[in-house]
Amino acid sequence: MSALAALLRNAGASIEATDDFEAINELYGERGWSDGLPIVPPTAERVERMLAYCDRPWDQPVATIAPRHGAATPLRLAANAVMAGCRPDYFPLVVLAIETLCVEKFNLYGIQATTHPCAPLIIINGPVAKELGINSGHNAFGSGTRSNAAIGRAVRLALLNIGGAIPGLGDMSTFGSPAKYSYCIAENEAASPWEPLHVERGFPADASTVTVIGAECPHNVNDHESITAEGILTTIAGTMTTTGSNDVLCWDQAEPLVVLGPEHAATVAGGGYSKADAKRFLFEHAQLPLSRFAERNVERILRKRYPDRFAGTAVDSLVPLAQSADKLIVIVLGGAGKHSAFIPTFGLTSSVTRALKLNDGRLAQSVKEFRRA
Amino acid sequence: MTELRKRGLGAAVICSGPFLKLGQAQARVFGVPDLPMIVIPHPLGGISLGEVRSRAEVAIPKVVDLLKEFAR
Repeated sequence: MSALAALLRNAGASIEATDDFEAINELYGERGWSDGLPIVPPTAERVERMLAYCDRPWDQPVATIAPRHGAATPLRLAANAVMAGCRPDYFPLVVLAIETLCVEKFNLYGIQATTHPCAPLIIINGPVAKELGINSGHNAFGSGTRSNAAIGRAVRLALLNIGGAIPGLGDMSTFGSPAKYSYCIAENEAASPWEPLHVERGFPADASTVTVIGAECPHNVNDHESITAEGILTTIAGTMTTTGSNDVLCWDQAEPLVVLGPEHAATVAGGGYSKADAKRFLFEHAQLPLSRFAERNVERILRKRYPDRFAGTAVDSLVPLAQSADKLIVIVLGGAGKHSAFIPTFGLTSSVTRALKLNDGRLAQSVKEFRRA
Repeated sequence: MTELRKRGLGAAVICSGPFLKLGQAQARVFGVPDLPMIVIPHPLGGISLGEVRSRAEVAIPKVVDLLKEFAR
């Protein structure tokens, strides 16, 4: 008996079903084991092929997923990865993404259960992104690339099926977000004039990492006219200053994300701006006077929650989007075009970055290293 | 709340109707499936002080009942 066959003998580890695509999808739909789209049936053979890219014990949880606090074993994650349409070599990133989401400071319980329409954005950096063909160029947030679509969907299915993020029960989002189907990109490191996100966060350039951010959908910033760094950054800062975002209402904890298109990034860097300089400009200019907020939000939130800063202050007092410039997250993404994006976050969350490592602790240079003999 | 209950203290969750199932599910997850739930009208955000008071008036008798039951 194979190792997998032995695990599948445990109570509840598997079900018998007729070998029929439509019938299996009806069954999964009825039981709420899907995001609504058809799934690839997770047969023992397919799950075993997925697990071939897992170098750790298949039945030992890598994390527990809130709000149900279900045990995320590689076996369960592999079933969800098969269902999502992952190729087996995507699996090490699925496992790493789940581990990273479950780091306490990310506040996955809050992100899963909140009424706010946030979803974990998964950003891949390093050589594995290229190896798996993860789209960092044209339409990177959109459709068209299997690795982006399937890795993001595998994570979502695990959040649903293991974590219990069931709409109206464990996921109380007022209206949700299209990002709750799949939300996975790679940073366009080749088109960035600056150090990539993982290097900025202290990882070697040849490490591959997953960064997770509890994020809303992207809000576009169109600027076809500015030819200076200050011009581009002024338009972005203007787009960031909105009165209803969680970031501005929880500014002392927020880490809002700015996604620069490569052409905008080149203009900003061409003006002599480092990434830190760009963050400083955005931090200083993306601030809103109290007079722009509704009166009760000023009185009941901003003045009450932050009395040291706003109790009794004039209505032109400025509310920032973060506690300091270095709390802003800046990445470069996309292809040709004069666009960038602002991505507001859940606010009550901290982004987390983790490196892809083998079970013995070494940094992985390639997903092939995970493959069992 | 589940931790307080596990330590033998009287504890309950006060939540609005739409969040009852989430609260009950969390109580089960944390090993206190019989944790009392005091349900008050939804919503909690965007209401006047008078409406806050009326929700407190719904909750307070239930809290008192709970404490009496706990003291028995």
